[in-house]
Amino acid sequence: MQSLGFSYALLPVLKKLYPDRDEFEARLRLHMEYFNTQPYLASFILGAVVRLEEDRAAGRASLAAIDAAGLKAALMAPLGALGDSFFWGSLKPLAAVIAVALVMAGVWWAPILFLALYNLWHVGLRLSLLFWGYDSSGDAMALMERYSFTRMARLFKAISLSVLGGILAGISGWRPEFVPNLTLPGPVVAGAALTCTLIIVTVLRRGGSPIKFMLGLALFCLALAYAGVV
Amino acid sequence: MFDLHTVLAITGVALVGGLIGLDRTAAGQFMISQPIVAAPLAGWLLGDVTAGLIIGAMLELIWVLDMPIGSFVPANATVSAVTATAVAALTSPGGAPRSVLGFCILLSVGTVPFTMMADTYVRSWNSRLLDAAHAADGADAARSLSRAHLTGLFAFFLKSVVLYVLLLPAGLAAAALFLRSPDRVQVSMELFLMLLPLLGAALVVRRLSISALDPFLLTGFIAAGLLAMVFHLHAVMITLLTVVVGWLGVRCREHRS
Repeated sequence: MQSLGFSYALLPVLKKLYPDRDEFEARLRLHMEYFNTQPYLASFILGAVVRLEEDRAAGRASLAAIDAAGLKAALMAPLGALGDSFFWGSLKPLAAVIAVALVMAGVWWAPILFLALYNLWHVGLRLSLLFWGYDSSGDAMALMERYSFTRMARLFKAISLSVLGGILAGISGWRPEFVPNLTLPGPVVAGAALTCTLIIVTVLRRGGSPIKFMLGLALFCLALAYAGVV
Repeated sequence: MFDLHTVLAITGVALVGGLIGLDRTAAGQFMISQPIVAAPLAGWLLGDVTAGLIIGAMLELIWVLDMPIGSFVPANATVSAVTATAVAALTSPGGAPRSVLGFCILLSVGTVPFTMMADTYVRSWNSRLLDAAHAADGADAARSLSRAHLTGLFAFFLKSVVLYVLLLPAGLAAAALFLRSPDRVQVSMELFLMLLPLLGAALVVRRLSISALDPFLLTGFIAAGLLAMVFHLHAVMITLLTVVVGWLGVRCREHRS
């Protein structure tokens, strides 16, 4: 599916580089072949492909050099894995957890902060990768050296867990919709929240599905309500 | 039950939700489609931002690590969040109570199979657009490509609109039945809402850490607890300081290894 979008993005470049209709069509069809990678890191590949097509159109590309199709095939899987791990697996959870912490505390502008935290990284990287791909002609090793995605992903995950710990500790200060009517001291309630969370993690790790757990939790609450506990 | 105001609201939510849904995979991906943004936006349009914030925050925690990796089609958290918020806001004008919020979040689980089915169908339909663009010859190739690309975008938009038009009335009917249910059922949904943050936190910990008793989770917990007890800091400051604590923890670990 991304091949449609990728070739659509290349349309103006190919039109400019290949005034001959047959050659333009041939290059366009080449870029309509299967392509699937992490959407943001696709801009690196896009920039590199533009550079390769420019070199090819100007007669600068050597026969031995990798062509655009080969570059796309070589980069899409590794960049897909890298991008998924960084953007979906660490940056998004970090921004989300910070925003949720603020929502729990009653801050109404938390969604705006979420967008700002995420998009400062996302848009900045997306733009710079487009130009970096063009300048480096798709040098993925240079990309890895310049942006330590793996290290940043580890950092963001650790910070997310720390903020989550903070959310659980601050249970007494949560917005009123979430605060139980208990006369226990705050630290005791926070400790109980942490314990319950860890128990749920253990259950989920044994193969529990989140949806089944939610349904089970709802039934559990119903049982407690009918038992008169709440 | 479905007066003119409700019909107009459903239409409005379907159109706005359809546009927001494009951000999910088809265009932009600026995360406006994430529950923590989409739900408050829907809530604001329908006059209940609080419902949107609460539902959005909970569904964000629950679905944040459900990732569209490769060909896997995750649940459409945007449709779930917007539907749940719209049902809450339209069922209880003036502010949805806890029980309704809890029920609407539970209801969003029911949207999952429909959204996954719809997403899978539209993706496979869209893949035929590429074949059609390929088949076009000569000067039509570029025009065909542009048309296929924009048709694909429209297909995603239409899919979301249809989902909202089908799910919202069903959700409203379910909520109306819920409001007539015994008090104990409503109390159970209040308790369900209160326990949801723990489930959400557990889902995130499960995916981000290899151990349940993660040292960063524990450090953030202790640091936040101490800061709140000793200094009585505002939650925003405590959140900021837990970010710093996490960062320092990683630096220490890197320094030691």
